[in-house]
Amino acid sequence: MNVSDSDQSFFTRHQFLIYRLFSLSGLIPVGAFLVVHLVTNASVLAGPGSFQARVDLIHSLGPLLVPIEWAFIFLPMLFHAAVGFVIIAGGLPNVGSYPYVGNVRYTLQRATGMIAFAFIIWHVIQLHWMGAPLGGGKFDPHHASSSTAVALQPIGVTALYAIGVLSAVFHLANGLWTLGITWGLWTSPAAMRRASWVSVAVGILLGGAGLGALAGMRRVDVEQARVIENRMDEVKRMLEGREPVGGPAVRVPEAAPAVPVSAPNSSEGS
Amino acid sequence: MAQGRVLVIGGGLAGLAATMRMAELGVAVDLVSLVPVKRSHSVCAQGGINSVNALTRQQGDNEWKHFDDTIYGGDFLQHQPPVKEMADWGPRIIDLMDRLGVPFNRTPEGFRDQRRFGGTLYKRTAFAGATTGQQLLYALDEQVRRYEAEGRVKKWEFWDFLEPVLDDAGRCRGAICQDLVTMKFHAFPADAVILATGGCGLVYGRSTMSMVCTGSAVSRAYQAGAAYGNGEFIQVHPTAIPGADKLRLMSESARGEGGRVWVPRKSQDARDPREIPEAERFYFLEERYPKYGNLVPRDIATREIFDICTTEGLSVEKDRLCVYLDLTHLSREMLDRKLGGILEIYEKFQGVDPRSVPMKIFPAVHYSMGGLWVDYERSANGGMEEGAVRNQQTSIPGLYAIGECDYQYHGANRLGANSLLSCIFSGLFVAPSIVSATGSKPASAESRLFEAALRRQEQRHESLLSKRGGDENPYALHQDLGSLMTRVATVVRRNEQLVAAYGEVCDLEARWRRCSLSDSGNWTNQNVVFTKSLGDMFPIAKLILKGALLRDECRGAHFKPAFSMPGIAATDPVEQRREAEQWCDRFEENTRKWLKSTVARHGADGHPQISYEDIDTSLIPPRPRLYGLVGGDVIEEVWKERGQRQATGVAAKAAVAVGAGV
Amino acid sequence: MIQAVSPSDAEHDSEPHAAAKTVHVRVLRQDAPGQESYWERHAVPYEPNMNVISVLQKIAERSRAEDGRQVAPVAWDCSCLEEVCGSCTMLVNGRTRMACSALVDRLLEESPGEIELRPMSKFPVVRDLKVDRSRLFHALERVKAWVPVDGSYDHGAGPRISPEEQEDAYPLSTCMSCGCCLEACPQYTKIEAVRRDDESEADFEQRRTAAFDRGFIGAHAISQAVLFNGHPTGRMIADERLASLTAAGGIQQCGNAQNCVAVCPKHIPLTRSIARAGRAATVWAIKKLFDR
Repeated sequence: MNVSDSDQSFFTRHQFLIYRLFSLSGLIPVGAFLVVHLVTNASVLAGPGSFQARVDLIHSLGPLLVPIEWAFIFLPMLFHAAVGFVIIAGGLPNVGSYPYVGNVRYTLQRATGMIAFAFIIWHVIQLHWMGAPLGGGKFDPHHASSSTAVALQPIGVTALYAIGVLSAVFHLANGLWTLGITWGLWTSPAAMRRASWVSVAVGILLGGAGLGALAGMRRVDVEQARVIENRMDEVKRMLEGREPVGGPAVRVPEAAPAVPVSAPNSSEGS
Repeated sequence: MAQGRVLVIGGGLAGLAATMRMAELGVAVDLVSLVPVKRSHSVCAQGGINSVNALTRQQGDNEWKHFDDTIYGGDFLQHQPPVKEMADWGPRIIDLMDRLGVPFNRTPEGFRDQRRFGGTLYKRTAFAGATTGQQLLYALDEQVRRYEAEGRVKKWEFWDFLEPVLDDAGRCRGAICQDLVTMKFHAFPADAVILATGGCGLVYGRSTMSMVCTGSAVSRAYQAGAAYGNGEFIQVHPTAIPGADKLRLMSESARGEGGRVWVPRKSQDARDPREIPEAERFYFLEERYPKYGNLVPRDIATREIFDICTTEGLSVEKDRLCVYLDLTHLSREMLDRKLGGILEIYEKFQGVDPRSVPMKIFPAVHYSMGGLWVDYERSANGGMEEGAVRNQQTSIPGLYAIGECDYQYHGANRLGANSLLSCIFSGLFVAPSIVSATGSKPASAESRLFEAALRRQEQRHESLLSKRGGDENPYALHQDLGSLMTRVATVVRRNEQLVAAYGEVCDLEARWRRCSLSDSGNWTNQNVVFTKSLGDMFPIAKLILKGALLRDECRGAHFKPAFSMPGIAATDPVEQRREAEQWCDRFEENTRKWLKSTVARHGADGHPQISYEDIDTSLIPPRPRLYGLVGGDVIEEVWKERGQRQATGVAAKAAVAVGAGV
Repeated sequence: MIQAVSPSDAEHDSEPHAAAKTVHVRVLRQDAPGQESYWERHAVPYEPNMNVISVLQKIAERSRAEDGRQVAPVAWDCSCLEEVCGSCTMLVNGRTRMACSALVDRLLEESPGEIELRPMSKFPVVRDLKVDRSRLFHALERVKAWVPVDGSYDHGAGPRISPEEQEDAYPLSTCMSCGCCLEACPQYTKIEAVRRDDESEADFEQRRTAAFDRGFIGAHAISQAVLFNGHPTGRMIADERLASLTAAGGIQQCGNAQNCVAVCPKHIPLTRSIARAGRAATVWAIKKLFDR
């Protein structure tokens, strides 16, 4: 047995632990983040001001935001994705021969995982400041609704977002159900059925929030939103005792990265 | 720790029990099986396993009564000491299987539940759902796997036993086996070889037995010189589901819960059975046996169903003999509650719901009471001496037989739920005998013995493979053999038919020699394996036919109308007594003549040489079996009086002897 | 000729698929491990109540393909023919099941015209429809699927067990190691070790066992571990079973597709076993973490 033990990679030797951490990471923190993220975004339905207020709250973390983002979102997500790809590579979907509901869910779980991962990469590049060098980074935390609305304006983009968001939501909701089996929360077929309904409900609510956020973003009147956002920004700066930046003129997109890049970093932190 | 290496052929209940016990005693075991041992035929046993238990004991039961029921049920054709030993071991065996984790059904308080089976008044049968055999086998399989993991047992699955290797003194020194995947031959030198290869149902073509129950291993031992006992005793189960591939058991409980057996009065009435009016249905069991109705004893039910289809030509179908077993008048709820499991089997394999359409059933070959003749050593208390080298040993020293393939425990007829017991018992009990045998082994066998045997087997194999231009198809020949044997050597036996059939079997055997194979390759060639085992079915078929032909009486499963002893016809009490006296005279005479084991030996000319061996009936004197016989009560009365007379006579003689001594 | 039709013939003619009187079968054959597989067509006369076993028996008897060529009989495993021994698993019309309980009438309803037979895809083919399922039995050894009794000497009865416990355990104990759950499992992938020319039988055996040990253990073995961890005596080595269930290729590889329970011919609640094993593994892993 020693021979085979030494043959085994780190991954093989700690397979159980890694798979369980994988399962857990899907719920906490990645799943939890998704819930917060979608609910936050859905707040745009209550107007650009409401959304801006929530974004401001998040960005009030200031210099802590980056480490928090990496520790609780990006790294767990990358871990979840990496292990997920190993798992997907090790499986042989066979829904053609065995078209049972459970198997369809199994296959969709893998498909949505991959779609969601691709979507998230695109999404981060497009909106997060880290994507600026690649021509993205279009989200401006000071103009949360308007900058997002502009970015999502092409119908194709919205459609891709809808697919990406629904994939992530399905992946989470169905993952919740499989997690309960993996960890042994629901064991009997009846309990699994009940849990199934819970995951369907979670999926519908989250999917509603996600699609609501998208619809909300498309409804945003960019000019009007910008007025509101500028006003809020002024108030903020006044409270922080600093000069307002720029006037009410529309910021050209190309110029956008400059501010967000500096915003969470040195200029505000110092 | 004991030493030595033992070869076990067959991994059913008996083979696994023996393997487990021997591994525990420190003997290294090679376990050879045609299939992975977990797939052995023992899995098919449904009902349960008999033994005296705490409950029945308080109702007056004891090991002796279990012993007596088994002997009486077997029509006294067994040597009594081994059967007594088995009954004595019953409680311990159930306890052991319980400890091994068999999920026996439980009472509300958590004790093992028991049910009543045929041939006894007590609830002796422990059961695990409807798959007791499977559960018992799995428990032993698990223990053997544990020993295998420890390196004490080596399994050779998908291997075929070809011949025992005998030394010049006629002692078995090992065996030649063949890998059924690579087709390679291998010699297994062993201090003892144990055959645990089950029954020979395939000699009858289709039966309730598994496809591995070819009887070929036993036949190969027989052809090498081992004696075969009571071959003509074949149990036929009255109700099985006829299938194109096999006959599947339909439990007796279907009749127990109110199922009615009938045929249309018009032969092969093509109408839907549900549209045949009551007046045009022939409930032949109810009409002929008003007292017992559909619940006549098994052998009678079997004979009646067989007769109505063959002699009276009233089979439901023309090409396939069968009668209706009708449950459609019973409520679905009741059927589902009480018979759910077995009705599902019918539905699964026939694709018809027996709750709404009458089932089609027919008797089927089910168990071979006969098998390799084995020895035993009688102990002081009338049982079997534990650890004696002779126990379960065939007529070839060093070659042992256990389980269904020995002839020792069931006589002329096996009681339900006794087969599982006999398999586990003989398996456990043979182990200490093997240890004794391996302790006294002579110097190791010469390799030339094995080389010669290997060459012989390779030649047989090669000659089968290389034969060209033969015009016979082994599968077709097997069907012919099966239908012939089923026709003449099952339920009803007639001498003229047996004589003719013997000749036909010899013809089939001659035709078998002209078989050419459709697969002449040497990789997983199931064609050649089947053809070989078919060739080995003929000697068994011949000894069954010849044994049946020579045995001019009715005993247990062996029924010859020409020699039956009908009950009492008279109604006048005096005349009744006279007839009963005559009946008892005839019974005593028949006992003197026929209460003997049939012992067949393979002759050099290929024909069985039959001789008879006296039976040890020292513990329970033979008495008539009177199940359902007309006037049985009068005969019983007369028989008892004779017994008393005899007893007083013996006592008087003893008193005289004692007096003379003084 | 109307008179020539026997009553039974008339009855069969009323059934839609029986009119042809011939069952067409397509078999995926392979002569030996490592060789190319190929399709072969057979036609056998139809009979009522036929199952796939009787079709294969007729193919063996005819030894001729549909085009009349003389061919070797198709090799396959079978024994009890009443769905209790677990031998005859194969892919019938693309789905894993027992050949003995696969009735031709139903199959023709499923896919009219032809029945397709293929060997299981998750086990190495030995020949034609016969595969090598030794990995399946090895998994039972991995989880120590036995009650660790002292021995077979008499120690009285086993532990008292309530009817509820028995009813819970019995279905799990009816697992016949057929391998349907493994065949249908998208997480269970084939391990086919080929002996190298320079390798001894023992070395090959060891290498193959090591590969089996790393591969997914499968639903059947997880369920057996749950069965024995539920037995009063069996649970005395529960920790050893949980150790193997959480080793490489253990329960964590389950992907919750739940095909196992959908295809199990014995309707064993395999997903319940998996979830129970998951729960036990959770508790055990946490305990191990804190007890260390």
